[in-house]
Amino acid sequence: MLSVGGLSGPIGRACLLVGIIGAFFGLFAAVSGTRQSDEKVMRLVPRFAYLSCAAAIAAFAAMEWGMITRDFSLAYVQKVGSYSTPALYNFTAVWSALEGSILLWLLVLACLTVGIVVKYRTRLNDPMVGWALATMNIVMLFFFVLTLGPANPFKLGAPGVLDGPGPNPLLQNHILVVFHPPILYLGYVGMTVPFAFAIGALITGRVGEGWLVETRRWALFSWGFLTFGIILGSWWSYEVLGWSGVWAWDPVENASFIPWLTATAYIHSVLVQERRGMLRVWNLSLLISTFSLTILGTFLTRSGILNSVHAFSDSDIGPFLLTFFAIIVVVSVALIGWRGDKLRAPGTIDSPLSREGAFLANNVIFSVFAFVVLLGTVFPLIVEALQDRQLVVGEPFFDTLAVPAGLTLLFLMCIAPVLPWRKASGELLSQRLFWPAWAGIAALALSVVLGATGINPLLTFTLGGFAGGAALRQLVLATRRQGMRGLVGRANGGMVVHIGVILISVALAASNSYTHSQELTLKKGVVASFGGHTFELMGFEQSADDRRSVMSAVVKVDGAQSYAPAISKFTSMGMNIGTPSVKSTLTKDIYITLEPPVKPTSDSAKIKVFIKPMIMWLWIGGGLMGIGTLLSAFPGSRRRPTDPTSAPIGVSV
Amino acid sequence: MKKLKSWPVWMLMGFLVIALLAVGSTRDAGPMTQSDRIDSITKHIACPTCDGESVYVSRATSAENIRKQVARDVAAGELSDDEIIASIARTFKAQVLLVPRATGFDSLVWVLPIAVLICAVAGLWVAFRRWRGQNVLGATDEDVALVEKLLAEDPTDEENV
Repeated sequence: MLSVGGLSGPIGRACLLVGIIGAFFGLFAAVSGTRQSDEKVMRLVPRFAYLSCAAAIAAFAAMEWGMITRDFSLAYVQKVGSYSTPALYNFTAVWSALEGSILLWLLVLACLTVGIVVKYRTRLNDPMVGWALATMNIVMLFFFVLTLGPANPFKLGAPGVLDGPGPNPLLQNHILVVFHPPILYLGYVGMTVPFAFAIGALITGRVGEGWLVETRRWALFSWGFLTFGIILGSWWSYEVLGWSGVWAWDPVENASFIPWLTATAYIHSVLVQERRGMLRVWNLSLLISTFSLTILGTFLTRSGILNSVHAFSDSDIGPFLLTFFAIIVVVSVALIGWRGDKLRAPGTIDSPLSREGAFLANNVIFSVFAFVVLLGTVFPLIVEALQDRQLVVGEPFFDTLAVPAGLTLLFLMCIAPVLPWRKASGELLSQRLFWPAWAGIAALALSVVLGATGINPLLTFTLGGFAGGAALRQLVLATRRQGMRGLVGRANGGMVVHIGVILISVALAASNSYTHSQELTLKKGVVASFGGHTFELMGFEQSADDRRSVMSAVVKVDGAQSYAPAISKFTSMGMNIGTPSVKSTLTKDIYITLEPPVKPTSDSAKIKVFIKPMIMWLWIGGGLMGIGTLLSAFPGSRRRPTDPTSAPIGVSV
Repeated sequence: MKKLKSWPVWMLMGFLVIALLAVGSTRDAGPMTQSDRIDSITKHIACPTCDGESVYVSRATSAENIRKQVARDVAAGELSDDEIIASIARTFKAQVLLVPRATGFDSLVWVLPIAVLICAVAGLWVAFRRWRGQNVLGATDEDVALVEKLLAEDPTDEENV
């Protein structure tokens, strides 16, 4: 390849500088144009947004180019680039460390800003849109400054470096590294859009339901991407890390999960405001919390203050992120205080036994859950700061508190879909919950017959059946009335999402409670058995290239399927990475890892076998959540998508 | 159909749930393999060099050494799970425990979530009481009756989200 080493750095830095100029003038134009109601000035805002976006795209392309051409004049390429890295993982290496991941964040943010500009191009003179664009530009300006300053991927490195180690071996071991970070970032960064409109609504004093309608789909899609990104991350963990789990309550996992919890609370409680005009302060607070938690999470995991399998390294971005987080919180709270008089809800909630009552209960659980995860994540820091000693808060703590929260949410998913707005009578509930309740009992009876034990998994299966029955009932009623259109709209798409959540809950309960594992030392020609399966070592396979040497054991399971768990030694880093071999069916996975030490000349190998029930349903549930989110984004047949739900239904003539 | 959905049937359902839960949760879960026991114990121990990962999750050398120690203790069959964890904690000092203690300052991590939950539920209770008071002033009995009648007749009510 033609070497243009050295060019990507100056180009990248120039692009970031142009981006800063674009974001700054975009902010200036949005603020002054909105304040003076000057259409001419406002027409400049899209141009600056295009300029910033083009600069972000060009900077990202320059970084990719630097990586592809192995421009080792850059410190970042020295850190994560290598001639031995295959093209695909070399491409993804751009977001495999701190500076590149912030650049990816910036790219997504700049594209979203252009998305808003395009969508609202005919309404730029609307002050709420103007202030929302000003907010987007502030956030974009911050990230441009961060990228050109403490997280600069175009910084020059030490001279004379001719090759690098490549990305972390775990990030060049599975195709999901291509999809998981960008999709997660689409959700994470996407939360900026509803936040920007919330700030716009507060500044203009238009804190009714209009801004919610404007951001309904933005919030939904951001939530959908965040959900999908988290599930892809779980899948990656399962397929790559070799401990057979999907979630370890790692600080970076928590950093994405906490905003997901508050965003999930928001997409439920927003319905109460749209429908009843209530919970204005609460909804604003949830959105502001969601966005500020994305910044706080980034601070916690990217500043080096906490470490995890994902946390990249110590860096100087901590004070920047912490200051920005503080500004967001202070300004948002001040704005809410300033608009306090307009935020008073005009209505009341008549009864706790109503759909809005159930949403409120759901919000309490989601918020407390988010608090628990945040507390568990930062508690070691608090202890270290106050008592100068180290403490680790890990999986057992989170599991202990997550189980009751999850069961309560499942219970609410049983009841809420059948509750009417305003008030429900006992008789009505008895009618509507009857068959869903039997579905729950049927699920429990089936679990007991199949040998399930343990109170928590049994409660999960019961409530899962009950909630699944309630969701299916809603879908059946809707499709009876409207045919296939009964599957779209927020209520019905939401029920598809619920079914996805139920499948995930059941799969997690089953796999966490009933997984069995065993270490087996296999000898060629001797069949070992475990968990009703036989395992036979057929031999070893070796391969090697510049990057790594791979040693895999060929294991025949049940005399038929061949598994090839492997251990790869990454030569430049001297790291051994295990690669599990997994075969999935609808009822269970057989997950095999090769345990060190491995001697290819030997006629034996030590493997660890995990029999994991129902894991497949976790991925099916994730897919259903994605489909349900898409279905929710389409309007039902009765209303225009831009109308609040409380708007009168149009009559066709 | 209405009779079918009456309270005695719900009582029967409740009884069935309790009975099935009792049967399922009290019966023997079957033997654990040695590996299952090692996994269960190592999920409670932090890898001393990994910043937050458990020994079960981590592939680091220090985690591997602890796993081997736990495997030896399990194979010896003399100590309970808690005793094995305590012995590892003594060897590596307290920071290898992944579960904060329920005493002293560490207990805050357990107490605060409960306190927040109680405050949130109390806040909701107060809000509902206030709203109920406002409702009495806001609507007459006739209004309430009219709304209930219309709600009962509204066939599309369940899809109005």
